[in-house]
Amino acid sequence: MSEPSLPSALPPIPPTIADQAMGARTVLRQSPDVQGTTMDGETVLLDLSSGRYYTLNRVGSIIWEQCTGDKTISDIQAILCDRFDVAPERALDDLVTLVNDLTQEGLLQQERR
Amino acid sequence: MPVADPPKTEYLFSIYGTPVRYITASSHLAAPVEELLRHFRRDAIEETTSLDVQFYAAQDRSEIPLALSHSVRHLVSRTDVAAEGGQKDDWPYVVSQDGGRLLIDFADAGVFVIDGASGRAEGYLLKPERMSDNLIEYLFHLTLIELLRHQRLYTIHATALEWQGRGVLIPGNSGRGKTTSFISLLRAGYRYLSDDHPLIRDAGGHIELLSFPIKINVTDETIAFFPELRNAPEQVLQRQPGFHKRGFYAEEVYSAGIGTCCKPALVLFPQVVDAPQSHLERISRSRALELVLPQALLVYDQEVARREFQVLTKLVQQVDCYRLHFGRDILDLPKLVTPLLEQVC
Repeated sequence: MSEPSLPSALPPIPPTIADQAMGARTVLRQSPDVQGTTMDGETVLLDLSSGRYYTLNRVGSIIWEQCTGDKTISDIQAILCDRFDVAPERALDDLVTLVNDLTQEGLLQQERR
Repeated sequence: MPVADPPKTEYLFSIYGTPVRYITASSHLAAPVEELLRHFRRDAIEETTSLDVQFYAAQDRSEIPLALSHSVRHLVSRTDVAAEGGQKDDWPYVVSQDGGRLLIDFADAGVFVIDGASGRAEGYLLKPERMSDNLIEYLFHLTLIELLRHQRLYTIHATALEWQGRGVLIPGNSGRGKTTSFISLLRAGYRYLSDDHPLIRDAGGHIELLSFPIKINVTDETIAFFPELRNAPEQVLQRQPGFHKRGFYAEEVYSAGIGTCCKPALVLFPQVVDAPQSHLERISRSRALELVLPQALLVYDQEVARREFQVLTKLVQQVDCYRLHFGRDILDLPKLVTPLLEQVC
């Protein structure tokens, strides 16, 4: 039986943040050009620099809310494991996939500590 | 002959407290705008705070005195449509930004320069004497919408009605049953707010829905559904040169008249279905926002877009949102919608 998976809000791309050590050093911050709102557990984001908008599902919304510039990927991974019945490795994979997608779209900024 | 002849006539309007001064020397460019804003005409306005729109007639693009800086930036364009014989909303365009100015180039129709922050806009229309009134109305309206957005008055591409102080919005693209559902409610005594372009603004505690009464444009297919339109005389249901829809004024056909400012209570997203009966499907607010955004928000100015996004968010939080699966029982739609409004305090 496969492990429970976190549904990704955007199509997956290969993870670039591959290991736990890097996850512990990488802080995530929402781009200041993004306006977002969360309603009924889902988040709608508007990228003011491109005019494009996106919808994040429930898990994506929880991840987005944690990207406040003071939490690392490892911190957010721990929050996901706490809230959902998911193995840490799977949570990290799905988290990294979404983070990379959001970063590629210019919605999220990654900072190395 | 330069296009910047001294303007001869000014036309004054007030749109929900926002004074608008329209200046043109061309009678071809005056009449359609007077018609569009006939409910907002004024004899005098506060000119120091007015939005100023000037439209000029030009015979050739070389007459357009447009100086662009090196920082001009392309924003969006649509060039896959042919202007000749096209409908007004199918015209090719290129939108660019030059500092604080928005430039909209409608190819053979003309060029528009909008400075939202200073509340000024200029339009250079090519051979307006050959244009339909409908196209001139559209081009002016587009310019006005962008200026009003900076005054915190936002337009949604939706039909809108008022029923006992409660507002109904029906957003959507053409062909989804927006106008047909709107007329079905109108004939049941709902009051008319707008066909296609109501305004909304943040009134603090809630979002207000404001009327923007314009001619209702209908296809022959829509007319066929409603006996009062099928039997309407030609002078009421007017043919419009260069436009495939016929137009009528709500107040000339339906007795309930034009509604006033109200609090929106319901948003319906129509979708025509091949079924005998219509039904409503409740949708989440996030889904509703996702559906409303393309009908309202265009990001030209980031701060304006940020405010508009917040207003739209507040709107969907305030209302109940449904997908209307619009079946063949077109005339019975009020039986489905009115009970929902009766439940709203």
